[in-house]
Amino acid sequence: MSASSTTTRADARRVRAESGTGSPQQRPKKRANGGWLARRGLLYVTLSVLLLVFIFPLVWALSGSFKNRGDIFATPPSLIPDPATIANYVNLLTTQPFWKWFGMSVGTAAIATVISVFVCALAGYGFAKFQFRGKKALFTIMFSSLSVPFAVILVPLFILVVKSGLSTPWFALVVPWVAPAFGIFMMQQFIVQSIPDEIIEAARIDGNSEFGTFWRVVLPLLRPSLGALAVWGFLQSYNSFLWPLVLLSDSNQYTLPLGLNVLFAAENRSYDLVLAGSVLASVPTILVFFLLRKQLLDGLTAGAVKG
Amino acid sequence: MSTSTATGVPVAASPESKTRRRKLNTSGGRAPYLFIAPFYVLYGLFMIVPVLAAVYLSLTEWVGLGSPRFIGVTNYVNLVQDTSFGTALVNSLIYTLIAVFIVVPCSLLVAQALNAKGLKARDLFRVAFFIPMVLSPIVIALIYSLIFDTDYGLLNSALKALFGLPNTDWLGDPTLAKLAIGFVLLWRTVGYLTIFFLAALQAVSPEQYEAASLDGAGPIRKFFSVTLPEIRPVTSFVVVTSFISAAQLFDEPYLLTKGGPGEATLSVAMFIYRAAFERQQFGYAAAAGVVLFVIVFGVSQILNRALAIGRTS
Repeated sequence: MSASSTTTRADARRVRAESGTGSPQQRPKKRANGGWLARRGLLYVTLSVLLLVFIFPLVWALSGSFKNRGDIFATPPSLIPDPATIANYVNLLTTQPFWKWFGMSVGTAAIATVISVFVCALAGYGFAKFQFRGKKALFTIMFSSLSVPFAVILVPLFILVVKSGLSTPWFALVVPWVAPAFGIFMMQQFIVQSIPDEIIEAARIDGNSEFGTFWRVVLPLLRPSLGALAVWGFLQSYNSFLWPLVLLSDSNQYTLPLGLNVLFAAENRSYDLVLAGSVLASVPTILVFFLLRKQLLDGLTAGAVKG
Repeated sequence: MSTSTATGVPVAASPESKTRRRKLNTSGGRAPYLFIAPFYVLYGLFMIVPVLAAVYLSLTEWVGLGSPRFIGVTNYVNLVQDTSFGTALVNSLIYTLIAVFIVVPCSLLVAQALNAKGLKARDLFRVAFFIPMVLSPIVIALIYSLIFDTDYGLLNSALKALFGLPNTDWLGDPTLAKLAIGFVLLWRTVGYLTIFFLAALQAVSPEQYEAASLDGAGPIRKFFSVTLPEIRPVTSFVVVTSFISAAQLFDEPYLLTKGGPGEATLSVAMFIYRAAFERQQFGYAAAAGVVLFVIVFGVSQILNRALAIGRTS
């Protein structure tokens, strides 16, 4: 089997080499082709316009956050703040419990992330590497929860949490995000693809218990995909709006989105404060996204494409 | 993926290892149940129980105090006669149509463009287009209220400067407001859906295209006869998830237009929120939730089946 695979690989390499030698001969032909060049140009122009559409609103908000309150809506609009000021940031941080909101958002999102990643990795491993009675039915039940809108469980979940006396934000803000079916699906796909049976078998022969195999052997190998799932889970919780909106009433317990919403919905629409707050609130997520972008983007798609 | 299998199977004695591999004990007794148990406990508590509670609540009248009073299907009868609920259903239908028939095709087009051979800065584009997805909805709403503002907004200023157009009340006109929300939905989700399509496009083997080329297929025929069938599993995933998230749209209409003007942008999720948390009609809100559940669950099963049947044939 290994011999045949080497030959196919060698074949593939030869084919690639041949096409490699072939392409330089083709390329000048393509270059000479004005239609190809024009289409390439059009492609880059289109993509750059799209880039502008996606990025410019963010730049506009960033610029606004450094403008005086009166300049935010100046006509004609100007991209460069003149004069530039950090007064909005100072005002926000001195008049609002911003860091409390920040701590609440980050803290609850971190708890939800740790729990959900662990639970998803466990269940994903169970589904990926074991055969058991009821597996198919349990998987279908889990998977079908992807099509239950959150608005459906909003009211009963609120009542359950309040009536059971567990409405403290450190519990209540976490619970909707701890068992995401998407995460299990993703983990299951990853484990099937990247954890060979031999490694598990070897770990068992070494005398590991089932959980020990998972903890000491499987989990470390999953690190990249755990990172992807963690970023995803964190963003879901950190950016959530509807659930904190119905749950929280004490402004000292607000999450960032809720705090910004209250400023935004206030009578005088404090654009200056909200813009500064939006920038500060977005910095951590954009930073984490940039640092882990490859893991996240590849991780999100791996399950869907291979599945 | 190929590298990990390669590191896993460097075993020299292949026949023996093959038999051993087949013998890997996958039954594991109680172990698999223990592995999946934490999920199902949480899932039961925070998903199954609330769904069942929603069904029960929907048959009661309850203002949050005392105990719920059983009133049968009265809530459902009232919902049918409630014009607000009808409006919300139609609006949410419009949002899902925008998501499925505009946002999804746009994502596929963007992915197709990003998949162009030898494209430079592909990762830059992919990452930049994704950024709106990592932002908080409130941040997005704030940015777009700066842009859509009638008197001082960036959009009207630009239109006036470029074409001398008079100011348009983007969020104050019933039709324009829906389109504006549709646009924000597009802006927020296109980059996210694009990465799924792009990964799928990259997984289509070049040989397929070469074979189609030999048959004399042009780019458009190649797209319909090779690309679309090859990426169908991902398309069905993207269509279903877009449908589900658009059907429960809440943040954009709540933050940008408060459901207005009038009820022109009111979504079903907003209707539920208002009934429960502004009017304390918990039973009524639960009934609206059950209707939403039945529709979304039913349609996504149908979509799943329709798109999956196509895959096997």
